Amino acid sequence: MSAVDAGLPPVHGFVDRDGRLVDAGPRLDDINTRAGGAIGEPFAVSQVAVLVRLAQRLGITVARHVLVADGPDEVELWVRADPVEDGVRLALSGWRLRAPWTPPVDLARRDRDLLLQGADWWWETDATLRMTAVDAGAARFGVTPENVLAKPLASLFALEMDAEGAMPMLGVLTVRQPFEGQAATVRATGQAVTLSAHPTLNAEGLFAGYIGTVRAETRELPQPTDDRASDPLDAFSARLDRALRTPLGRIIANADSIHAQTEGPIRHDYADYASDIASAGRHLLGLVDDLVDLQAVERPDFVPAAERIDLADIGRRASGLLSVRAGERSVKIDAPQDIDSAPATGEFKRVLQILVNLIGNAVRYSPDGGMVWIRTHRDRGTAVIIVADQGKGIAPEDQARIFDKFERVDPSEPGGSGLGLYIARRLARAMGGDLTVDSAPGQGARFMLSLPGAGG
Amino acid sequence: MSIDQGDWDEGARASASTLLARAAAAVRLADRRLADAIDDFFLADDSRLDDRTRATLATTLTAMIAVVEHDLRRRAITHLVGGDPALVQRIERGAPVLDRLVATGLLRDPDLMRELIARTRQDLLVDLLPALPPDEIGSASLLARLAGSADAWVADAALALMAAESRRRGLVDSNRLDQTELPAELHHRLVWWVAAAIREQLGPTSADRMIVEAALRVLADHDEGDRVESAAVRLAATIDPQPAELATVLTHALGDRRVALMIALLGHALGIDFATMRQIVLEGGEQLWLALRGAGLDRATVARIGLSLCEADPRRDVEGFADQLEAIAAISPDEARGALAPLRLHPDFRAAMADLEKRR
Repeated sequence: MSAVDAGLPPVHGFVDRDGRLVDAGPRLDDINTRAGGAIGEPFAVSQVAVLVRLAQRLGITVARHVLVADGPDEVELWVRADPVEDGVRLALSGWRLRAPWTPPVDLARRDRDLLLQGADWWWETDATLRMTAVDAGAARFGVTPENVLAKPLASLFALEMDAEGAMPMLGVLTVRQPFEGQAATVRATGQAVTLSAHPTLNAEGLFAGYIGTVRAETRELPQPTDDRASDPLDAFSARLDRALRTPLGRIIANADSIHAQTEGPIRHDYADYASDIASAGRHLLGLVDDLVDLQAVERPDFVPAAERIDLADIGRRASGLLSVRAGERSVKIDAPQDIDSAPATGEFKRVLQILVNLIGNAVRYSPDGGMVWIRTHRDRGTAVIIVADQGKGIAPEDQARIFDKFERVDPSEPGGSGLGLYIARRLARAMGGDLTVDSAPGQGARFMLSLPGAGG
Repeated sequence: MSIDQGDWDEGARASASTLLARAAAAVRLADRRLADAIDDFFLADDSRLDDRTRATLATTLTAMIAVVEHDLRRRAITHLVGGDPALVQRIERGAPVLDRLVATGLLRDPDLMRELIARTRQDLLVDLLPALPPDEIGSASLLARLAGSADAWVADAALALMAAESRRRGLVDSNRLDQTELPAELHHRLVWWVAAAIREQLGPTSADRMIVEAALRVLADHDEGDRVESAAVRLAATIDPQPAELATVLTHALGDRRVALMIALLGHALGIDFATMRQIVLEGGEQLWLALRGAGLDRATVARIGLSLCEADPRRDVEGFADQLEAIAAISPDEARGALAPLRLHPDFRAAMADLEKRR
């Protein structure tokens, strides 16, 4: 199974205690009719009927991947059979046609083998993108598995744009599709790498995590093209990036391994100093990332793509990406509902970047157990998405300041470079929209991103 | 066509006798092959290793001997620095000893094979078990959560298990091992066998002392605490789930396909050692159902574990399990524990009692 089919929604049905199909969604009804059954009669799709009986006898949910014959074809289904008091509830997703004969191979194993071809080392995550397994061979590339296991994928790799300015991974992480050829650097070492990965599925056909590979590259970090190199600011930024990333990577890696006491026990407070050094190093690395972005958005010829996007959809994806961080602080993110939609024109990746920044800030400034709301609406040709939190709010005199370079919402809070909101507003304006804030001390803050609407 | 024997010289006669001897040997070999094929054909299906287990077992055994042999040769050479260059080369370039060890039948050692077969089946089960969705969408997997625990002992033990399982997964991908990951006694046995086989290749030489020295170092470097099995036992003991929590932790371990942890948790709850508990889980059947009930698990948890194990192994009969479920649920935890009591004795003690029984 190499991809999660996000296509057709699941179909529901109900089989009573006597094995009669008493309720069936359209596609289930069709397939049951073609198998010779009818509503109110014994369920005729034998592969699924077996699961129904099993769920009823065991008294627990049974979920399985089955192939169902449908005329000359085979349909691939993920079946979930839930026993309840008077029968069994069915949910069938997948609904993909398969060739009548496929070679009897273990697809998961084959995918894994193909993926590992030419790779230097591999990793696996769970559904929340935390590392659950890391190849012992990663140690040859300066990554100690013990230091990255259980941490978020994003803490291991920093993503980079390819020559076309694309980040294959960013778009697919939220929809859980396979990706390949994602340029990235290993944060701990500054090593340039290429990432590829396949999603893994659980028994219900839902996303269970990624298995991915890392290929070490000798490439340089993305170079500005010739005409841009003449700009002294660009050249400076590029040098800054290269000159800082590698040594910082080394500092963080060494501090991490001192903290982990890999070379033997040391005094506890020294181990803690090492952890402080590593987190300060990570902070500086984040700053380097922001400076590189800054260089991009401040260029006079910077033009984001004009794509048809849905702010509600991107809001949901951005909250998904931040759910782990929010969960750590027990902050709830109330994302737009599936039925909400706010069509707009802008660049998907850049809007996602802005929303990740806004929601990240909202989570950071929320009290433990607090709530972050994300709402969308359309207003006279404009699509608006609002991110509101229950933090301590921003005084009116500070509201303009926070969008300036190197300014912070709360300078006393640790972390952050003071560039995020500046970059976010530059991006919003470059896309023909704006980013504004509305807040009062003690009342939380509401950030509003507006973009040109796209009708529909 | 006439054959003029007068033309045959002595050399041809010598070759002819070799040929005749070989032909006779070939007849004997054919007989032995037939006998082996007959044994193989009449082997009961439930005793036969399936192809996947057989292939993985062969890979593991090959990789295991290779890593010990490589280690021994390398260390012996470093002890020979400045010695006879021809000897160094013979140690370095010697043919792999695997075939020799297989031919002698030494590797048929029941203790070694019991461990290897069980371990292989345990590792394959990880691949074959269905991953189950978490209770709550968006919650991290069990070990990732435990690794973030405020209790440093739990966090360390969870990380150690993740790291050990990562190393074990690498074997299937690369056919390579970095260490045998055997229990100390078996590692000890294997290292001396390989050392003896290398010594046999070299004949009586001045290298004996170096090989012994190398073997002692290889033994000293082995840490059986690095094994997946030890890490799982350590984590189970550190979490030490209360009877009321056991079902949840076990279900999560199973859902995340952390087979070693599941075995260790059950063993911890019942006071049964890891190897015995692993045998029970891998064999399935009545003893496993008794163990699940003995650990105080309710009907739904027994059903969930039973179903997952049946899904992972086509030889397990899910319909039979469903038939038995009511009877299993009717056994009280005390009754179940009583029936398993002999398994809680020290495994060596049990083995000794069994030996005594055989010689009655």
